[in-house]
Formats: sequence, C-alpha cells, structure tokens
Amino acid sequence: MRHKTVIVFILLILGIFLPSVMGVQRFPKPEFESGYVEPETQFPVPRAEFLAWMDVAVLLLSLSLATFLVLKKRSRLGVFWLSLFSLAYFGFYRQGCVCSIGAIQNVTLALFSGSYTIPLTVLFFFLVPLVFTLLFGRTFCAAVCPFGAFQDLVAVKPMPMGAWLNAFLGMIPYLYLGLALLFAATATDFIICRYDPFVGIFRMNASFGMFLFAGVLLLSGIFIARPYCRFLCPYGVLLNWLSRFSWKHMNITPAECIQCRLCENACPYDAIDFPQTKKDPAGRRKQVNRLILLALLLPLLVLGGAWTGGLIHSTLSGVNSKVRLARLLQTASVSKDQPEPPEITAFRSSGIAQQQLMAEVATIEHDFLTGSRIFGGFIGLVFGMTLIGLVRTPYRTDYVPNRGTCFSCAKCMDYCPVIKS
Amino acid sequence: MKKKTILIFAIMLFLVFVAWMLRDLFMVRPELQKNPYDYGMTALRKTDTVPSYTELSPLKPVLREITSVAGNQDGKIYIAGKGGVEILDVSGRMLKHFPIRGYATCLTLMPDGTLVIGMEDHVELWSPSGNIISVWQAVDTNSMITSVAATQNLIFVADAGKKIVYQYDRYGKLQARIGEKDPVRKIPGFIIPSPYFDVGISPKGELWVANTGRYRLEKYSMDGSLLTSWGEASMAMEGFAGCCNPSNFTILPDGSFVTSEKGIERVKVYSPDGAFVALVAGPEAFDEGTRGLDLAAGSNGRILVLDPSRNQIRVFVPDKRN
Repeated sequence: MRHKTVIVFILLILGIFLPSVMGVQRFPKPEFESGYVEPETQFPVPRAEFLAWMDVAVLLLSLSLATFLVLKKRSRLGVFWLSLFSLAYFGFYRQGCVCSIGAIQNVTLALFSGSYTIPLTVLFFFLVPLVFTLLFGRTFCAAVCPFGAFQDLVAVKPMPMGAWLNAFLGMIPYLYLGLALLFAATATDFIICRYDPFVGIFRMNASFGMFLFAGVLLLSGIFIARPYCRFLCPYGVLLNWLSRFSWKHMNITPAECIQCRLCENACPYDAIDFPQTKKDPAGRRKQVNRLILLALLLPLLVLGGAWTGGLIHSTLSGVNSKVRLARLLQTASVSKDQPEPPEITAFRSSGIAQQQLMAEVATIEHDFLTGSRIFGGFIGLVFGMTLIGLVRTPYRTDYVPNRGTCFSCAKCMDYCPVIKS
Repeated sequence: MKKKTILIFAIMLFLVFVAWMLRDLFMVRPELQKNPYDYGMTALRKTDTVPSYTELSPLKPVLREITSVAGNQDGKIYIAGKGGVEILDVSGRMLKHFPIRGYATCLTLMPDGTLVIGMEDHVELWSPSGNIISVWQAVDTNSMITSVAATQNLIFVADAGKKIVYQYDRYGKLQARIGEKDPVRKIPGFIIPSPYFDVGISPKGELWVANTGRYRLEKYSMDGSLLTSWGEASMAMEGFAGCCNPSNFTILPDGSFVTSEKGIERVKVYSPDGAFVALVAGPEAFDEGTRGLDLAAGSNGRILVLDPSRNQIRVFVPDKRN
C-alpha cells in the first residue's frame, strides 16, 4: 500500500514536469519564407456553453449532496470527501473560475453598467448557493467551495480565538465586500479576482508576490482555521446574513442536548454559541443601558462613516485606470523636463481628445463620491452592529451552532454522543 | 502562553496578507519615468573577458554614411557608402575618392584589384582608378544585397531579401543559387530575420556564409553543397546572441574568422575550426545600438572595423602582452 502511494506520488510529480520536458526547443527560430503571411492573433475560445451548464449542474448536485450529508446523514466523512471533489473540480479542473465569490462583481457590474451583460451561468453561480443557504445554512461553505476545502486541508492545529478578536477581524469581509462592490459598480476593477490567493495556485501562474502571500495566508491557516472564509470572504458576508434566517439549519445534537460539553471545543471556527442561562437583574440593566447607548450611537456611526467615505473618495478613485491616467496627464504637463510615461504616449497615440477623457473622469469621480459615502455609511453601520452583537448576550440553554458564522461542516457532530432514537 | 504566542503570530501573518492587498491596491503605482516594457541591455553588455587587441587611432573617411570596408595586403583600405567610394593608405591618408550613383551596401576586391560593389538591388564592377566596368541587372524586385565576395572568376552575392546567395561569373551571368532549402541535399536554408547577411571567401577559396538565424557560419562547395558549419546560440562570449548573429565576418590570411555582432556589440576572433580565440572589442568599445560593423583584414594582422555610428574605420591590432 505504501509502495503504491510512493509510485502514485512519483507519477504525479513526473506528470507536472512532463509538459516542460516536451516543450518545443526555442532555437532555431521558425523559418519565414518569402511570401509568409503573419497569422491573425488567436484568442482562446470561450468555454463551450454545454460545459458551462454542466458546471452549474455539478454545482447544484454538489450542493444537494452536501445538504443531504449534513442535514440527513450527519456525515463528516461524507462532507470531507465531497469537499475534496469540489477542490479537484471547481479548484484545479475549473481553475477557480467561475466562482460564486467573484460572481458578486459580475452581478454588480451588470446592475450598474448598461454595456455589460452577465452570462446566465454566472448568475446561477451567484444565486444558487444563496438560495441553498437561505434554505439549509452554509452547506456551500462546508463542502462545495474549493477555497474552503483548500484551507481545511492545512488547518492542522486550529486555535480558539476570543469573541472580540473574532468580531474585530470579522469586520474585514464587510470592508472587502464594500470595496469590491464600489470598484465593480464603477467598472474600475474586480479586486476579489485580483487578490484571490487560491486561483494562482489552481492555475500555477500567479506572480511571485501572490504565491508568497498565498503561502503566508495558508501558513496562518494552520492555526487560524479558514482565515480567508472567516475574515476576508465577501461572499461569506451574504451567506452569513441569509444563513441567520435559514429554514432548516444543522444542529450539533440530533435530539435533545444533554449538556455534556463534549462539543465545546469541537468547532475550529469558533462558531458554537454557548448556553447563557444566568439571570442577573443588575447585569441585565447594565446591558440594556449599553444597548440603548449603542442604538443611539448607530446613526452617528453611519453618518460619520459616510462623511469619512466622502473624504477618502479621491484615494479610492485613484484605483480607476482612467482617473489615474488623467492625474498622470496633469502631472506630466507640470514636469515637462521628465520623459513622457508610456501610459501617456499610448493615450496620445489613441487619438482620444484629452477633454473627452477629463469629462469621463469627472463622471467617474462623481460616482466615486456617491459610492464612497454609501461605503463609509455601510462600514459605520457594520461597526455599530458588531458592537451591539458583542454587548447583547441572548438567553439560550443549549450548545448551538451560530447560524451566521457556522459553515455547516459537521465537524462538531462527531463529538455529540446523543443518538437519535 | 505558547499557544497565545502562536495565535498572535498567525494573526500577524493574516494581517500581513491584508496589508499587502491594501498596499498593492492603493499605494503601489508604476514609476512614472520607467518604461516597464523596456528591454534593458545594460547587464547583458557587461563582460568579464578582457580584449586581446588594442585599438589604434581610427581612420576618418570623408565619405558620409559608410557601409562597407575592404582591405588588401599592401595596406590599402577601400570604403564604400552613400554616393561614393574612398581609398585610403595604411595611415588613413586619402588616395582616391570617386562618386557612385546610389547607395553602396557592400564591396569586395577581386584578386586582380577590380572592385565589386553591391548596390541594394544590383551589382556594379569598378576599376581601382574609379572607372565603371559594368552594371548588372537588378537581381530581383525584393532583393536586398548585403554582401559580396569574389574569387578569380566567380562573384558571390548575398541577398537578404531572398535569403539566398547567387553565384555569378565575372560578366554577371548567373551560375548557381546557393543555400536554397533542399531536404534531399540536407540544406536547411538560410534564416535571415534582419538585413545582415554576409559572405566571404577563405584563403583556400572556400565559400562561407553567415546563417544568422541559426547563429552559425556555413561552408558551401561551389556547386552549393553544404559542407560544414560552426557556431552556436549563446549569451556566453563563445556563442552568438540576439535575434540573429554574426551580422558580419571576415576571414584572416591564416583561415581564422573575425566576427561582429549587433545587439550586444562584440568583435571576436575564432580559429579556422570555429573555436573561440580572442575578444577584439567588447560592447563598451561601441555606442549602444551600433549595427552593421563591417569587417576587413588589414595588413600586418590589423583588423578593420567599420563603425557606422561614429562614421569611422576603427583599427585593432593584437595586444603584445597577450
């Protein structure tokens, strides 16, 4: 058995290096005979439509199977094998694209840009996991998302993090989502794809910097289970919201909780809510006062965020290539003794009038001002709601999965000794 | 305590990732004055090999836009260029200057002293005294004559446009086409990506052609059979680098080769069997971007290098210390 594993491993390694061995020798150069016609540039053919629909079918089947394994079979092993399949199919075979996470940007751009049409299959990739989450919790995160599966493989020594740390880092996905929506709505950039740490690994074509930082993220993932899912994933924000209202969510125990506390440390994602049964009238009053104060503070936080967003809109719009080009043009016209940057040379050779560019940039800047204010207000709201979430301690008697943050991975189920009669 | 440290370390790693994203998104901007697509040659132009030749004072012809140089063993130097031919003595003093109509791209001397001048699309024969002997018909509409070589009775014309070497008799009658791709005769053909395509005749009367796209010199029999070749593509001093080199060569009386390259400008000496012998002049001796360093063997072991960038004939002699 062990020998077989070694042989398979060696064959796998050889398979990776085989393409470079079979590579065409660079020299001598191809011969260009007289009368040779330069071939037209070839563009890669888009994925065949039936294959794109097959991806949707695989997504639907995987989600259905994941839901069945979590809610009906309560099988952690089944979830694990399905997640490996998803990693192989959606990760390495489909090379991480289309993914539901990045589809947020396609949907946003389609909503805000009249010239962009979103393919139906991409829309399905965005909507289907949301619908499943609304019905059954985050079974998508459990076994279908290749990013989650990848991180699960490296989470060998996960450590619990306190509520405040979870809440503080848990705000980052909201920031990321806000920025991704802002940049997608203004047709600036698809930053979720640009900073996707896993796609470069799936395709083996990331830049050195991206590989390095993906390695850093995975290294932190040894001790912080699924750091991308918990503290970065913008799609996770939407799933978190919908999962809170899910129709049927998984439970740790299949029947009545016997308070054995065996599952207390079972969740590597700190997604189990502990029982809160103490009734302290004095503490309760203090808590209510804090909640009232925070509720009054909330509009101020939203307004403050919107005001701050307006202040930083110029920095945010600097990411837009047209805005950057316009600023370059202004800088270049001031320092004429410096050589002309290639971007400006390319712009001048395009024949587009500078006034036309400036008019477009003024519209973009205006959009950014509005968008940045909304973004700032949204972050203020998230900050306020996070504080409220930390202050309030809802009464509960059992150990239950937190419906928002639970990935429905079924890891905790194995710890529960209760057997459904 | 240990667990807490590890957790802090892991969180720091995660925050490093987030900080890198933010920095890349908002703070990293391409440098204004730097062309990211610029192909920097500075590092490639540096060499550790010390030249084994010393440069003497260059010869400065009156002729502008010089393109080709030839020498003979009595020390006379023949230079051709736009609109004229110039003959200098060994010290650089002008002996003769006569005008020609058009742009001379190459020249060579026949053993009887007749000048064979390549004129872009046709060949002209001139006497050393400046009298025209004959003007041949244009070779082809797409021709780009870049080099000529001659024996007692034959004249070889390298056509970079058609990627072929023509063999003529001295009266301009086409005798053979040399170097055409012929799998039966195992002739791979010439790959000439740029208009630098040189031919030469060795002291033994052998025809050598620079197949620049294959980075080698090829020897052909007079009937056009490929006999042998040497040269390899390499960034090392021993090889030829760039898109297509050597751009020019000449053969010394002892059968050694002198080659010149463009891109990374180098002039080197190879033994008759193609082994690297010495560096005559490295890239630092030339203006960056100089191309078309035509070569000629001068008297007393001198190597003449035509430098079109400076419009000079650079003279190199073997360094006595070596």
